[in-house]
Amino acid sequence: MSSRSRPAGAAPRAGRRVRFPVPHWPSVAGRARADAGPLLLTAVVVAIVAALTAAVPVLLRSTADDAVRDAVRRAGTAADVTVTARWEPDDGEIGRKRFPRLAEDVTALRDRALDELGGDLRRVLLPPVAGALSPSLKVTDGSVLRTLRLGYLSTAGGPAVTWTAGGAPGATVEGSVDVPPAGPPWQVSIGLSETAADVLGFRPGDRIPAADENGNDKNVVVSGIFRPTDPADPAWRQAPWLLEPAPGADGFGTTRFGGLLSDASLPDARLAFAPDAMPRTVWFSPDPDVLTWDTAERITATAVSLKATSASSSTFDTTSSWNTQLDAVLRDVREQIAAASAQAAVLLIAVLTVAVLVLLLAAELLVRRRAATLTVARQRGAGLPALAGELLLESLTVTLVAAAAGVALARTVVASAPGASPGWAGGGLGWTAPVVLTGIAAAPVLGVLAAARATRDRRVPANRSARTRLRRTAQLRRLAAEGAVVLVAAGAFTALHQRGVEPGAAVALPAAAPTLGLLAGALLLLRLLPLGTGLVLRRALRSRRPLAVFGAARAAESGGRALPLLTVVAAAGLSVFAGTVAATVETGLRDGAWRSTGADVRLDLAESAGASAAEATAAIAGQPGVRHAVAGRVVDAARIVTEEVTVAPRLVVVDVAAFRALLADTPLPDAPALAALPGSSPAPPGSSPAPLGTGSTAETGQTAGSGPTSQAGPTAGTEPARGRPEAVPVLVLSGDGSLRPGMSLRLLRDEGAAVPLTAVGTAPAIGGAPDVVLVDASALAAAGAPAEPNTIWATGPGAARAAANSGIGADVVPRTGVLRERRDAPLVTGLRVLAWASAAVMLALGLAGFALSAAASAPERWQTLTRLRTIGLRPRDTRTVAAAELLPLAAVAAVAGPALGVLLAGVTLGPLALRLLTGQSADPLPALPWLTAAGVAGVFLLSTLVVAPLESAVRRRQRLSEVLRVGTP
Amino acid sequence: MSLLRVRGVTRTFGAGPAAVHALTDVSFDVEPGTMVALVGRSGSGKTTLLNVIGGLDRPDAGTVHVDGTEVTALDEDGLSMLRREKVAYVFQTFGLIPVLSAAENVGAPLRLARTPAAERERRVALLLDLVGLGDHAGQRPGELSGGQQQRVAIARALAASPRLLIADEPTGQLDAETGRSVMALLRGVVESEGVTALISTHDPVMMALADRVIRISDGRVEDQDAPRAEQQNAPGARSVEERDPPC
Repeated sequence: MSSRSRPAGAAPRAGRRVRFPVPHWPSVAGRARADAGPLLLTAVVVAIVAALTAAVPVLLRSTADDAVRDAVRRAGTAADVTVTARWEPDDGEIGRKRFPRLAEDVTALRDRALDELGGDLRRVLLPPVAGALSPSLKVTDGSVLRTLRLGYLSTAGGPAVTWTAGGAPGATVEGSVDVPPAGPPWQVSIGLSETAADVLGFRPGDRIPAADENGNDKNVVVSGIFRPTDPADPAWRQAPWLLEPAPGADGFGTTRFGGLLSDASLPDARLAFAPDAMPRTVWFSPDPDVLTWDTAERITATAVSLKATSASSSTFDTTSSWNTQLDAVLRDVREQIAAASAQAAVLLIAVLTVAVLVLLLAAELLVRRRAATLTVARQRGAGLPALAGELLLESLTVTLVAAAAGVALARTVVASAPGASPGWAGGGLGWTAPVVLTGIAAAPVLGVLAAARATRDRRVPANRSARTRLRRTAQLRRLAAEGAVVLVAAGAFTALHQRGVEPGAAVALPAAAPTLGLLAGALLLLRLLPLGTGLVLRRALRSRRPLAVFGAARAAESGGRALPLLTVVAAAGLSVFAGTVAATVETGLRDGAWRSTGADVRLDLAESAGASAAEATAAIAGQPGVRHAVAGRVVDAARIVTEEVTVAPRLVVVDVAAFRALLADTPLPDAPALAALPGSSPAPPGSSPAPLGTGSTAETGQTAGSGPTSQAGPTAGTEPARGRPEAVPVLVLSGDGSLRPGMSLRLLRDEGAAVPLTAVGTAPAIGGAPDVVLVDASALAAAGAPAEPNTIWATGPGAARAAANSGIGADVVPRTGVLRERRDAPLVTGLRVLAWASAAVMLALGLAGFALSAAASAPERWQTLTRLRTIGLRPRDTRTVAAAELLPLAAVAAVAGPALGVLLAGVTLGPLALRLLTGQSADPLPALPWLTAAGVAGVFLLSTLVVAPLESAVRRRQRLSEVLRVGTP
Repeated sequence: MSLLRVRGVTRTFGAGPAAVHALTDVSFDVEPGTMVALVGRSGSGKTTLLNVIGGLDRPDAGTVHVDGTEVTALDEDGLSMLRREKVAYVFQTFGLIPVLSAAENVGAPLRLARTPAAERERRVALLLDLVGLGDHAGQRPGELSGGQQQRVAIARALAASPRLLIADEPTGQLDAETGRSVMALLRGVVESEGVTALISTHDPVMMALADRVIRISDGRVEDQDAPRAEQQNAPGARSVEERDPPC
């Protein structure tokens, strides 16, 4: 205590040394030893929160990179950048002209595309594959449904093959020749893979009987049989059927084979087809391993620019036409990352707030314990700067060591995380700052204030009006502080609902909305709690139970403390909020998977497979474990004209009765309006046998797939009126209100007259599309617009297996697969882990806050209890009274905390855009985590039952006698 | 027969060279209905002696009997019953419950004794009248002066009609005039209620009011004075039950 304070701003006198406060080391060490418990708790809180806040931003960045890579991988060939260009016109003098050097044209296109690509895009793309693919031909050997496509592929050095029999395809004729238009089919030499040759049974020199879709024969000759040098060569990815036959690629029951073209036979292949039937193409596949969150934005811009400046498809020149979905894929994933970042920020702010409150409680406890020694030190002449220095030294040591340990732990976790960035440099330390600053400053500030207050001259005025004025001033200050919190919370809510969590926008204020809302609610509870405890006390005074009176009296006395209430309510509420986020994501994922697939499994048929959809549907319906199988046609961006605008909704053409039964077999919302459509009732008995109770199943395929042959006769609303067709009833769904029940619509078609429609009800959401028009297949066919199915939905435990074994060329989309894929997505996994971890940390912090609060009020509580013991209260009754005092705080945390958490989740989860992660079309409704809420409530209530006996056991060791003289046990 | 009998009480804190012998072989008796002042310097062992007598502390040796009950042989529940029925305390720091009114504080021992509400209210009213706070029944301790709070504490101590009233420096936090009035009040209730009082004090006025003074020094009883003549003129001659309600 050797310091001497100098008035602020006063310059040191010349010739005199400035004396800085020197810590009194025995005091520092003694205080630290005496209060090791609170200091250790402070250190643990700082370490845990520092670890969490330091690790999360870095892991989030790493997860964002993973998400970008994952999205591109999942997009598959859709994310490829393709460049197509027409060949030079091959018009000859008498017909078409054979150009012998087309392979060079393909190479030229590849080189040109590389030049045009730009540095940013080139760095993230794999070496290009160039080539040309023909349309499908039917193999007309009369055996089974086989198709044949010819393909030419070229990379910088391959793809290399070994000719195991025969040789590479050669030119039919050498050089440039004119081909008469009415001549025989131009011969094309191809190579077959060993597998294809074995299955087809062709040998070198054999001619493959093939014809195009119009029945025109093609002259395809096998020149040799090859084995790929490297089947994993990326070039084969563009045409895998060149190596292995592809079942169902061209329709149910079909198998596609591939014929490999060479540099020499490519000109002949061009002549064998229409002039522009097999344009030259360059494929660039993105390299997911080099993609990052940082590069995604630039790549998106470059891709958009390339597409915008490329040739339109209608031009008859050889200009490159660029096409890719990579920009859309990256844009979608960037939106998801932005949403996930905002959601992570919400959780981090919540954890930080609770941690700061707990640190303040710990500091308050420290100061309460040290009040006497600080006062004595002050009275003995210790200056406030010296005391501040000593306390700061202690808090600096504890906090910085703990924070360093936390950051080191975070670094270890980050380093061991899969896909962690090796260049981690503590990027998340900004989030750690509030906790570290609070840990450093809280105890010294509160301690110095306590020391100053203990020795200052200011006394409570004897004048009652002066006391009243002081009390009112304090009340006004508190009201102003509370009002400020409420105002900031209102601003945060407004920002959240108006701006949401848009990428690039500042998210700190909107992300703080749940936390600020909870604090505002806690402040309201702080106002209400004294009223409640006062009411309980009044009722207890009317009772005959003395323990109720004493417990209620203690509760009323200690119930007005702000910090404990804010801490436990915030901890409980934000724990439940975090649990709600996790639960909502989980249920949203399940719901999103149902909405995406529409059933237990969905088959997206190849366009050429439509004719065989009825057969496939019946086959699936006949499999064990399949309850419903329904075929339909789903057309995205159908052209619908209303009286006001033209819209492009998703058109869904189904057998309504079967679709209704299918919907009823799923947890998807029922669509009662389906009953308003014709064909909504099941077919009458005997009209068509129903296999496996799916009466509509086989019939649906027939109805939807076979067009006029399946017309079930005129139905209500579809019978053509004289001279003017009657409008077909449809159900509509619109995200922006452009389609409404009662509207008259027209369905525009390329192949015929527009079909008049009338909206009679609201359609169910199908596949997450915002705008939907749903129409009965029979009614539409009756109106002259039959629709071939391109989708099959099936429900039942065996549906996924049945779909996989159906043998039809289709993308099989099982619901469980979609769910698993989305659940395992990096962002979703990261958010769920963070939400549960945050909930656990905040709950633990809340319990620590409760314990600190109990410890801080323990001296007063046990002083009263000891006094009560001197008038006859039994020792065991003291536990009851102590528990009764702690109960209101625990009860408020247990009841109001979870209620506020759920309430805030209800009003904030929408703008947080969880739908971007769950795959839902609309913001998910909060899923109430009853188990979590009950757990949080139970833990807080249980803690009362633990703390009171624990305190009692500790206090029992202290002598009751000490209270008689000094009043302090 | 003595109401309080102390025999050979010894109490030592700590052990070895640092041991503090707070009481050494203390013995004395107190007759019923007397007011005894326990005097001595700070650290002489007054408070330790009061604690041992009241069952708040246990002696290392010796016995204490209060109204025939051996205090030193009672367990915790027995001590609680002793404090509920026979021994009451008045603290230097008053020891009131802040959120309860004066009447509710006074009624607290009666609640523990399961006294019927009507009887409790009547008794509380009488006691508050006795200590001159009949008009302050609804006020909380924070709204009362120090002297008034100590009066409430005395009323609370008398609520369960104890046989022995123990007060340790009851005027320690009061100014001289208020202290004297509290002393006079204690003198009065001893006579009116027939209670035996053992009061530690430094105050000569209190000593003058006492029937007997026990001097204690270094943990030993040094001297026991005879009652003084002035004590006969102390105020409060009537019992609580006989006292007229305030006008």
